[in-house]
Amino acid sequence: MSGFSGVLQLTDLDDFITPSQECIKPVKIEKSSAGTGAKISIQEDGSYYQIEEDGHRQQLQKVEITLSDCLACSGCITSAETVLVTQQSQEELLRVLNENKKLRSDGNESEAKFIIISVSVQPLLSLAVRYNITPDEAAERLAGYFKHLGADMVVDMAVAENFALLETRKEFVRRYLSSTNDGVKNALPMLASSCPGWVCYAEKTHGNFILPFISVTKSPQQIMGSLVKDWVLKNLGVRSVYHVTVMPCYDKKLEAAREDFFDKAAESRDVDCVITAIEIEQMLQTSGIELHQVEKAMYSEPWKKDFDAISPSIKRHIGSGSGGYADHIFHYAAKELFAIEDHEIAYKNLRNPDFREVILEKDGKILLRFAIANGFRNIQNLVQKLKRGKCQYHYVEVMACPSGCLNGGAQVRPREDKTLKELTAQLEHVYESLPVEVPDESKVTQELYKTWLQGNESDKASSILHTNYHAVEKLNTALNIKW
Amino acid sequence: MGKLVLLDTLSKHVGPVWNVAWHPKGDALATCGEDKTVRIWAKQGNKWINKVVLSDAHKRTIRSVAWSPCGNYLASASFDATVAIWDRKTGEFECNTTLEGHENEVKSVAWSRSGHLLATCSRDKSVWVWEVADEDEYECAAVLNAHTQDVKKVVWHPEIDLLASASYDNTIKLFREDLSDNDWICLETLESHDSTVWSLAFDKTGRRLASCSDDTTVKIWKEYPPNNPEGIPTTDNESTWKCVCTLSGYHTRTVYDISWCHLSGLIATACGDDIIRIFKEEETSDSNAPTFNCVSSTERSHTQDVNSVAWNPVTPGFLASCSDDGSVKLWNYTD
Repeated sequence: MSGFSGVLQLTDLDDFITPSQECIKPVKIEKSSAGTGAKISIQEDGSYYQIEEDGHRQQLQKVEITLSDCLACSGCITSAETVLVTQQSQEELLRVLNENKKLRSDGNESEAKFIIISVSVQPLLSLAVRYNITPDEAAERLAGYFKHLGADMVVDMAVAENFALLETRKEFVRRYLSSTNDGVKNALPMLASSCPGWVCYAEKTHGNFILPFISVTKSPQQIMGSLVKDWVLKNLGVRSVYHVTVMPCYDKKLEAAREDFFDKAAESRDVDCVITAIEIEQMLQTSGIELHQVEKAMYSEPWKKDFDAISPSIKRHIGSGSGGYADHIFHYAAKELFAIEDHEIAYKNLRNPDFREVILEKDGKILLRFAIANGFRNIQNLVQKLKRGKCQYHYVEVMACPSGCLNGGAQVRPREDKTLKELTAQLEHVYESLPVEVPDESKVTQELYKTWLQGNESDKASSILHTNYHAVEKLNTALNIKW
Repeated sequence: MGKLVLLDTLSKHVGPVWNVAWHPKGDALATCGEDKTVRIWAKQGNKWINKVVLSDAHKRTIRSVAWSPCGNYLASASFDATVAIWDRKTGEFECNTTLEGHENEVKSVAWSRSGHLLATCSRDKSVWVWEVADEDEYECAAVLNAHTQDVKKVVWHPEIDLLASASYDNTIKLFREDLSDNDWICLETLESHDSTVWSLAFDKTGRRLASCSDDTTVKIWKEYPPNNPEGIPTTDNESTWKCVCTLSGYHTRTVYDISWCHLSGLIATACGDDIIRIFKEEETSDSNAPTFNCVSSTERSHTQDVNSVAWNPVTPGFLASCSDDGSVKLWNYTD
């Protein structure tokens, strides 16, 4: 035993130091006066007061970490839940809704916001299974619940999912041709971009090495955000829209908070608040409501000229419950690049059911090799393969949650009589039984390409439907030094 | 009382030595430390000499080393967040694979009995299971985030693919693969220690586990399989583990490491009070409440914290230890 305790031995061992990864983001504090001699007193409720020499008391502002701070920090991979709670929670949503109601009841209609709720399919199925109703009924009841709370419109996010699929498949063919014809490096494999958990991990941990491979097509949530804030707002002729998305995981809150999706001029986020299935279940429970007893309401299609209300008809895309990216791109690429149509897709499980691959073969030659990799362990294996230059895939649908988005982190938890595995299997079954949406046949999407985006290949389509990624530099602050 | 006799002192490392690991044949010892080297020692004549120095693979302290059961591979875990796998296919030891994935300091590495699996744990609170795929290919089979704090140690059951981990969150966790979907699950959390659990050791059968802690105690845990004669309730047809013995009042500081000899049944501990202690089970003691006696306590075994102890797997009573004082020592225990 040395004279010092282990903690004080200044070496590069930190086996002794509290290992918890506390938030290390340095925060800039705006100080107004530079006077000295003031005392700080801490109140019982934990608030801080500065007491000047003349006895004047001033409450000090609390330092707050925003979601954007979290995204820009290399400190920890997932942001603190408390941060999410303050900025994108059911409390925040209810606050906005109530404030809006009050403005309207006070006759200040002009100051009220137009509230639009976009619902994605995975949380809807989660709630349908939880309350034992059909997906269409769940959509009608959920629309009724949100309208009861004060929402103006509830819309289906399928239109944005169509855009995401159409854009990613074009991007894939572009990358494939540039890689094979022009020898462009880092174009393949193309990696999916719709899972913000995966994107955030890639940015923070692997940075510029991995980012070129990630598809630049925006996720459905953010395409929906652009559609609502750029087009629907103008179409409706309203002053301001508060846009809420209903999603299967908390990671989507991080995505909504990205700087890339913030319009500085309008001081507006494309998605203002993300709410998840598990939070909706809590909201319903708190107010003692069962979803299947809520009065039904209609969905809206505000991107159409005559935005009539319609009965929701929930559909799925062919392929995985995470949006079917691998399947859709595979079919399209087989047809576009090799003139092979309607090729049957038969996945082969690799080390575990969450890592599956499918190949397109002709005359014994492998033309396309696609994979679906779900969950952190498979992301690891994929990244390590890439690093060693042993990744043979052309496209990989990467999702951070095991089993993909149907098992998203904020889906309703299984009840006592069921395991998570059984619940996921049930959700997959319900998803499989939905009618199929074919993006190519969607008149709405084609119409929007023309009216909103000025054509399929226009600069506007490219700037609105695509995004960028940013490697997070490792922080080198005193707080991060390990003794 | 037994006697622990010092056979040899091996002084080559610069700075604290963190871990000692015997080759499965018992004729070589691997050690590692803050000097970022792994050293392999073997007997030449009557002296143990430093045959090999492995350097340049790690940028920071090497915290843990482990030999594969076949003895052909050596894994080293470092504070630089990586694990290096060394082999001697060319005759010389070479690092041909580096396992990356942990966010920060890797604290421990261990091979399963079959040699097909490798476990690592880190300050990032996670335990990883790696599957040895093809030649020099290691695939991540699981990332287990069950612990809430720094994970200090991972050890495998001596016969089956059951993994135990010890953490700063004061708990021990047991993991096994769920064969239905190849995912790894936490079977049980063993709670009883009041502070960091630093190390673990299974007995020869794997039906008992010894743990040592910052709370200065050593605990013995016993497996109670389903339908056990003692009538200890189990759930879901899985074994339950219970603490059947706590050795307190012996250690005066943190107990950093523990080794349970599979030949003699003796338990050795490495303690922050610079003492190596040996415990022996009373032959007549009840397996549901066993009695262990401290049969040897060697004052100033080292001049600083003892970091690691390991019984030789072939020669009973032959023990290796290492310390913050920079030395590695070899001992012989006799009753």
